[in-house]
Amino acid sequence: MKFDPRTKLIMVFSFSTLAVFVIDIYLLLVVLLISIIVSNYFKEDWDFLKRAKKYITLLMGIVLIQSIFSPAGEILLSINKITILTTGGLAKGIRVILRMLIIIISATIMKGSSPREIIQALIQWKVPYEIAFMVSLSIRFIPILGEEAKDAFTAIQLRGIEIDKLSLGKRFKIYSYMFMPVLSGVIHRAKELSTSLEARAFRAYPDRTSYIKLELSKKDYLIMLASLLFTVLIFGIYIIMG
Amino acid sequence: MKEAYRANEAFIEIEDLAFSYKRSPVILNNVNISFYKSEITAIIGPNGSGKTTLGKLMSGILSSDQGSVFLEGTNIKGITLGNIGKKVGYLFQQPERQLFNPTVKEEIGFAHLFMGEPKDKVEKKVSKIIEELSLQGLENSSPYQISRGERQRVALAAILINEPSFLILDEPTTGLDMVRKEKLSEILKRFQQQNIGMVIISHDKSFIKSNADRIVEVSGGEVNEV
Ligand SMILES: Nc1ncnc2c1ncn2[C@@H]1O[C@H](COP(=O)(O)OP(=O)(O)OP(=O)(O)O)[C@@H](O)[C@H]1O
Ligand SMILES: [Mg+2]
Repeated sequence: MKFDPRTKLIMVFSFSTLAVFVIDIYLLLVVLLISIIVSNYFKEDWDFLKRAKKYITLLMGIVLIQSIFSPAGEILLSINKITILTTGGLAKGIRVILRMLIIIISATIMKGSSPREIIQALIQWKVPYEIAFMVSLSIRFIPILGEEAKDAFTAIQLRGIEIDKLSLGKRFKIYSYMFMPVLSGVIHRAKELSTSLEARAFRAYPDRTSYIKLELSKKDYLIMLASLLFTVLIFGIYIIMG
Repeated sequence: MKEAYRANEAFIEIEDLAFSYKRSPVILNNVNISFYKSEITAIIGPNGSGKTTLGKLMSGILSSDQGSVFLEGTNIKGITLGNIGKKVGYLFQQPERQLFNPTVKEEIGFAHLFMGEPKDKVEKKVSKIIEELSLQGLENSSPYQISRGERQRVALAAILINEPSFLILDEPTTGLDMVRKEKLSEILKRFQQQNIGMVIISHDKSFIKSNADRIVEVSGGEVNEV
């Protein structure tokens, strides 16, 4: 079944709103579970989870930092009188991770729609064409940027810089060097793009016609309604629980 | 005699290598080939045949699950990029991806300064290389605001400071005029005298004819001697 990109946008919007506003961990878990089920329904491949393995240490780090800097509740672990883990801190860290997961996983719902469809969805929502076009351009350029950053990172190591042997401070400095080629690539591309847009008379006429027209079907309305109800329901539970 | 010598000295050896990018068809299949320090090897082939991909696999920039690449007898997967870079210099098809500094002078010396080499020593090396690649006058220009040919030479200079024993050059003649090509030929000849092995990826027939000792072609996923 194919859904209108607007329906998907509403779903993503519901999930991410809940992720941001809900504080209760169990409720967040429920939202996460449902977002996983929904995004699975949209036949998303789970490749990104494999890649996410690399970031596990980063996630653990977030939990730890949250816990160290906002201690609350009972102390679980302390080294030399420095409190490392507290129940409150741990909860805070877990909350951050759950939120990140919900937002990332629900965003994958959009992956099935082509950039062109997403622009069209935005236009039919009365978003100015220029802005919708910009959004789709940025979507299209993300993989290219990734590629360039990867090349730059490889190239800098091939210069004989052994990242593993560097101190943390120097490592950060290396990352800052990497911005140079990536940024220059972005600026260069923006220049070329603006010239070619001018050359093709972008915005020559105030109104654009479109060959694609999106139409919402009954099931789209149903899903939208369900998303909104779900959001209200969770908020309701959340408020009743105090 | 020559064969025996070559077999002993393989600098880069590729064994049963296959490669495909994520979600794309197979680009290289069952590649078996060796590269030697004693010769300049040209890699030719149509656009999109996988020349750059092969170059990146040879230098550990890309890696594959199928088959292996050996650098002086050691599997390249076990060597860090930092250590590969000390032996193999790789010139990207887009040299702007390997330039990181605001001026040409800093660009050439920065990795060595970064790894803690004394300043005066690095400066000496930098000025020697600037002379070698005739980059005089550009020392304080931005690597991004010079001509493409100049940029390529800057990238090459930044590689050479590591004194690599092998170079992989991806389309080094793009954007060079006749005079610059001649100059590049001279530079490559000098490298060869210094016992630096080379692989040149190029479409430039006349350049290959006058510079390469051996030509291999990438086509239809296979790599063959020509
Ligand atoms: N990062 C990538 N992801 C997916 N496919 C890629 C990627 N890079 C290259 N390809 C594809 O792999 C094939 C080989 O590309 P490659 O750059 O190795 O060709 P090439 O022989 O160097 O071509 P050229 O003569 O244009 O430089 C092409 O079909 C290209 O579309
Ligand atoms: Mg290429």
